[in-house]
Amino acid sequence: MTPRERVMRALHRGQPDRVPWIENDIEEDIQVRLMGGRTDFTPGELCRALGMDGFGYHFPSGQRAQDSQSAQTTGKTGKEGWYYPRRITFDFTPPWVAEMGTVEGTGRTYVKRGLLTSRDSLELFDEFLPDPDHPARYEKVAQWLEKYREDFAVFARIRLGSASTFESMGLDVFSIMMYDDPDLVKEIHRRFSEWSAKVIQHLNKMDFDFIWANDDHADNKSSWVNMEMWDEFLRPYQMIVVNEIKKPWIFHSDGNLFPILDGLVTLGMNAIHPVQPAAMDINKLKAKYGDRVCIVGNIDLDYTLPKGTEEEVEAEVRDRIEKIGVGGGYMISSANSITDYCKVENVWAMSRAIKKYGTYK
Amino acid sequence: MSDETAGLKEWIIRGKRNEAVQETKKALAAGIDPATVMAEAIAAMSIVGQKFSTGEFFLPQMMIAARAMSEIMAILKPRLLGAAAETKGKAVIGTAAGDFHDIGKNIVKMMLESAGYQVVDLGVDVAPDRFVQAVHDERPDFLLMSALLTLTMENMRRTIDALRAAGVRGNVRVGVGGAPLTKKFADDIGADFYSPDAYECVETCNRIMHSSHRPSPEGAEAKQR
Repeated sequence: MTPRERVMRALHRGQPDRVPWIENDIEEDIQVRLMGGRTDFTPGELCRALGMDGFGYHFPSGQRAQDSQSAQTTGKTGKEGWYYPRRITFDFTPPWVAEMGTVEGTGRTYVKRGLLTSRDSLELFDEFLPDPDHPARYEKVAQWLEKYREDFAVFARIRLGSASTFESMGLDVFSIMMYDDPDLVKEIHRRFSEWSAKVIQHLNKMDFDFIWANDDHADNKSSWVNMEMWDEFLRPYQMIVVNEIKKPWIFHSDGNLFPILDGLVTLGMNAIHPVQPAAMDINKLKAKYGDRVCIVGNIDLDYTLPKGTEEEVEAEVRDRIEKIGVGGGYMISSANSITDYCKVENVWAMSRAIKKYGTYK
Repeated sequence: MSDETAGLKEWIIRGKRNEAVQETKKALAAGIDPATVMAEAIAAMSIVGQKFSTGEFFLPQMMIAARAMSEIMAILKPRLLGAAAETKGKAVIGTAAGDFHDIGKNIVKMMLESAGYQVVDLGVDVAPDRFVQAVHDERPDFLLMSALLTLTMENMRRTIDALRAAGVRGNVRVGVGGAPLTKKFADDIGADFYSPDAYECVETCNRIMHSSHRPSPEGAEAKQR
């Protein structure tokens, strides 16, 4: 099977020739280290080196590696950067409507505070969000797709709008406004979701194999909202985006999703990612939801990949393949992404272990 | 609990701030001691914390309860006299150097304040020397650090080493928490305690403050002020 066929088979809960390996992101700094210091490699070269089956996200493209996620940090001055990206990216997430901070030395950015805190602040949408129908962005990415896709599974990253709402309001304001001005919360989510829905209409026409929707809903302990809140404040607006997706798609949220998972799976995603070992029992997930969704992830990012030994990485990969890979419907992946604090030798150990144990007999 | 404060607990648990404020004013007008009302409110927030810890309550429910509590505290504090006016204890809080994830830290801060503690929030990406300076300046009972990333949790160790180097480690109890942390890690770096969630953190602080008013257990690190 080609890498693309392998991924597509697993996404539809089938059993390919071997367990596919796919990552939601590999931070650029570690991409460069994995490639021996080179910055000019293509996405396909990185995949071939590691034995990965697909790619999306962003690449150094011959420039200094960026630590942060390139398309997320555009902010209010970043519209031109969104229309005319200078590095290879397959990210189509809206900027946070937020005051951003920058870490000295690394250039990494973070949300200092959300700015959507009142009805008056709604005017910031015009200031921050780029035109989702601007043709330049799609033309450029289409060129990259044609040039680099080879026979890999290529995905675009989007948001359903929930993470944008949480970050751009702040979880504290979001929580309070659910009671004080519920219509404001709904209006903000609706605007982000309608933006993503327009983006999706373009992506549907492009040569992407699947979509990866990144919308954190939870921490290790629990989802941030209960099922009733999810059903009222999130689901209707998530559906605005979901209704437009015409390709297979993966839903991503860190943390423990079990409190709202019965609801979430009704969105109709093909797969759920990243199943953090500290937050969710993957065996329970497989037993309860394995007949409805493909499972992606679960190689530990708290200890194993950044601090463990190569032997521990191998043992964990083997365990997941043998227990969760059985019968198909599983793609191996880190429990979030390959971050720049993972040990390079552990990423290579993961690569070797997948080749060693991943083939279906 | 008197009849005049019977409804207060329920309004706080439900996050109904207007009703809780009204109930508080009613109790005070009826001559109830402000310290009694405060104790009732703190007990209500403890129930909220417990419900959050067990998964019955979610973040928004806890947030509105904490808001109701803070409005009640604003009414009660000027009326509290003597020992009752003192805060239960003081905590300096921040995320470890390099870590910008503050959701957990903010929840702990809110819960501590609702439990009657004074909290000095150093924010995110707090370098070890800033924590040391805050221990010097604020003379807190607790120094609380959180980290979301494996990368940044090592900076908690550096902070504790810096406290030792500055000679102030014995002045403060150090508590740590965050997604990748374990009790073992907390023990390894020399923290006094690890809390898996905000409620546990408040409960641990309460236990420590309670026991610090009794003779120190044998071998316990003496608080040097």
